[in-house]
Amino acid sequence: MPEKDENREKEKAQRVVLRITDMDPEFKYGIRKIPGAEKIMLCFQCGTCTADCPIARFSDSYRPRKLMRMTQLGLKDRVLSSEVIWLCAACFTCVDHCPQDVEIASVLRALRNLAVKEGHMPIVHREIASNVLKTGYAYKIPKLRLRKREEQGLPALPKANPESIMKLFDITGFSKTLEKVRT
Amino acid sequence: MSEEPRIGVFVCHCGLNIAGVIDINEVVNYASALPNVVYVKDNRYTCADPGQEEIRKGIEERKLNRVIVAACSPRLHEPTFRRCIAEAGLNPYVFEMANIREFSSWCHPSTPKEATEKAREIIKMAVAKARLLQPLETMEVPVTNKALVLGGGIAGINAALDLADMGFKVYLVEKKESIGGHMAQLDKTFPTLDCSICIEGPKMVDVSRHPNIEIISFADLLRVEGYVGNFRVRIRKNPRYIIEENCTGCGECKDVCPIEYPNDWDMNMGVRKTISVPFDQAVPLIYGINMDHCIECYKCVDACGARQAIDFSQEPEEVELEVGAIIVATGFDIYLPYDNSLYGYGKYDNVITALELERLVLAAGPTGGKVIRASDGKKPKSVVFIQCVGSRDVNKYEYCSGFCCMYALKNSILIKEKYHDDVEIYIVYMDMRTHFKGYEEFYLRAREMGINFIRGRAIHILEDSKTKNLIIRAEDMTLGEPVEIEAELAVLCTAAIPSKGSDETARILNVTRGTDGFFMESHPKLKPIDTAVDGIFLAGACQAPKDIPYSVSQGSGAAARAATILSKPTWKIEPIIAVVDPEKCRNTKVKCGICAQRCPYGSIKAPEGKPAQVTMAMCHGCGTCAAECPSDAITQMHFTDAQIFAQIQAALEENPEEKILAFLCNWCSYAGADLAGTSRFEYPPTIRAIRVMCSGRVDRDFVLEAFRRGAGMVLVAACHLPYDCHYISGNWKMKARMEALAMILEKLGLSPERFRVDYISAAEGVKFAELIKELTGQMETLGKERIRPENEKLRPTLERMLSRKRK
Repeated sequence: MPEKDENREKEKAQRVVLRITDMDPEFKYGIRKIPGAEKIMLCFQCGTCTADCPIARFSDSYRPRKLMRMTQLGLKDRVLSSEVIWLCAACFTCVDHCPQDVEIASVLRALRNLAVKEGHMPIVHREIASNVLKTGYAYKIPKLRLRKREEQGLPALPKANPESIMKLFDITGFSKTLEKVRT
Repeated sequence: MSEEPRIGVFVCHCGLNIAGVIDINEVVNYASALPNVVYVKDNRYTCADPGQEEIRKGIEERKLNRVIVAACSPRLHEPTFRRCIAEAGLNPYVFEMANIREFSSWCHPSTPKEATEKAREIIKMAVAKARLLQPLETMEVPVTNKALVLGGGIAGINAALDLADMGFKVYLVEKKESIGGHMAQLDKTFPTLDCSICIEGPKMVDVSRHPNIEIISFADLLRVEGYVGNFRVRIRKNPRYIIEENCTGCGECKDVCPIEYPNDWDMNMGVRKTISVPFDQAVPLIYGINMDHCIECYKCVDACGARQAIDFSQEPEEVELEVGAIIVATGFDIYLPYDNSLYGYGKYDNVITALELERLVLAAGPTGGKVIRASDGKKPKSVVFIQCVGSRDVNKYEYCSGFCCMYALKNSILIKEKYHDDVEIYIVYMDMRTHFKGYEEFYLRAREMGINFIRGRAIHILEDSKTKNLIIRAEDMTLGEPVEIEAELAVLCTAAIPSKGSDETARILNVTRGTDGFFMESHPKLKPIDTAVDGIFLAGACQAPKDIPYSVSQGSGAAARAATILSKPTWKIEPIIAVVDPEKCRNTKVKCGICAQRCPYGSIKAPEGKPAQVTMAMCHGCGTCAAECPSDAITQMHFTDAQIFAQIQAALEENPEEKILAFLCNWCSYAGADLAGTSRFEYPPTIRAIRVMCSGRVDRDFVLEAFRRGAGMVLVAACHLPYDCHYISGNWKMKARMEALAMILEKLGLSPERFRVDYISAAEGVKFAELIKELTGQMETLGKERIRPENEKLRPTLERMLSRKRK
């Protein structure tokens, strides 16, 4: 069996033509149920989101319109394993301007959540998560910085409570998710 | 008809459409045993000639005086069978249809046993109603064979000319000083590039010369009373300060007038004299003075001299017209996107609308046909057309304005023809819509000329403050890259919107408008020209954005529709109307008049101390008054309280707590349920439906009676709010009534989910099926164990509330 899968993967990597079998028609129905992503199928591909996207102006791969298209078509694996869904800055400019009221930024949030569930999470986000878990901060604040604060007469930073954070991570199931994406 | 009812039931197989699911023999046997049924016959196709012959034979041989056909939807074949029984000498209104196809065989194919049971009960309900049916006489009203056309654009002009040529007197009322409408403002017309005024001008002159047409321009519609064949219309002619008969249109007054003001005909880019006509080809060619700008120097009076056409003391004049039919052709307006900060219209000099460009391209326009920029008067080297400004935007105008793609192509071609390769043209579009004859070829021509097409939606226009050039941002979707186009002129192809004053016109005429604000047709496919008001028709862009050929055709179509009324000495009116019992009407004792207030058509008058009176020809038969009347003094013919009570009883005799009793309005929710059937959407066979013309007819007492009889659930379904009701506002009246009732029922201990009000359009077959699934689910969750005791608890109160009816 694994051999067969491998063959299929190989074949998929070689061909350029998109096939109906690459599309998961159920994907859109699932996405549509997620709050904020209800109007995904209304997108008629006008490119408003991409034209005014501050990220798209500086990235040659991030095209929110294309991500909407892939979601509509159900190119599930491609869209969820894609690195670019993590580039959205959630500025909501696209949401404000969309002529069909599609909440593009929310659809992307939904896609990221699904991606994590499927085990896709870029290393940066994983690192941030483990930093929060370890130190209570998104990144480890260097000793030098702390000393400087003291010199300038600034109050000490509040102490984090890793135990509570751990509890939160456990309750929300985030710990398990993290474990999953690590492996 | 006091004689004992002798009912004949004709059960249709409809090939296998019905017989394939429903056990016809069982249904026939069941129907034979129903009270007053003297004859039952099944046919393969009842609507076909042999089937109809069977009915006629049955009527003759069995002396039937009521006929039921158990077959398809009454919305399909009721008129057929009414005609059929009339041929056999019966009154057409002693006919009832049992819809066992759309409502049973087609929507419950996998449960034939339940489908058969449902079909039986549908027939039982029809028999219960048929026993109480009364013959009704069709009324005839006289017809005034004159017509009113509102709006003198190309649609109105065509309608007026056609009617006048048929020999009818036509009043053509126009709000502006001249007829001609938007078409007279245009340069060339797509796809053949004829000069617009050159082809419309002669028609305008034809109108003014036609002996049967009277143009009343610069006038407002004030009031319309009456009904089909007999409208009384009040018009206000605004003062021009010119005596029409004396003005020769020579224009000598204009030459001496010293004052100019912006000409809105030229989109305020050109000027006109204070005494002038808006454009040279104006019809009627009568000058007018704009008193807002006149300095009363009286030079014009001197120039006019002996003709004495100028009269500074003129007052508005009101005229009353009597007409038999009205054609509404009030057209559209162009959206001016001042409120869209992203495009900078009104802020940047070189951003203009397409209609402004039209006046620039036009040789007779303010620039003599030169396309120039407002910022520096120079000819632009690059022009960008931006499509769908306001259109196809759910936050502005949801619809497609239809003709913008074509006029953008046309204007591009015109500019390209003028300046050749000196000018580069870009059209930023989402979809290029070029259907209809010759349009796609026109698009091809534009591509051949080298016009650039960028697929994407322009999102932002920025201005270079030094050069006053514009930077347009979009995504070139075909490349998948964000682009910035620098252009010297940007043209916004803005949405076509309902003309200013449409709301007022709708109110005066009692015509409904869609959610987009355009006037609504009676049926989107089969009655696209009629309105819900008999005798009032639509033509042109007042109904939805339309181009010239479409408007012209519809103008002619509306003329033909109006002629069907005008050509007859009298007009027949459906007798399904409201009748007041003067004995019961309490307006004689106290000041009531609820019916008069609630009637959407203003057809009821309740003079103090006298019983309410219905103007029969104005009554459309929605039955709202009958449901609202506090003393049950009003009867809606063919949908009487007694008939509906009989249907409720028949529906709920067996296992009532397992059933949803539904009241469906004829035009939307019944049609939606029909569609669920024709689309073969399967849903649980729990519903028993009673058809009413309008949800406004659904009396509180019907709901109470249904629960008294132990119904599991009651559903009242109507047309969508706010505008869909075919009787203008019956659904609103029902909503208010049912919301109050729901509160009472809940207080009395009824589970709130057991009484449902919902809105289903004729297109929402899916919604209907889903709703019945949902309601059935809820009913099953509650279970008989809860429904039964609830009903027991409610019954004494309900009986008390219904005691008046039960007498």
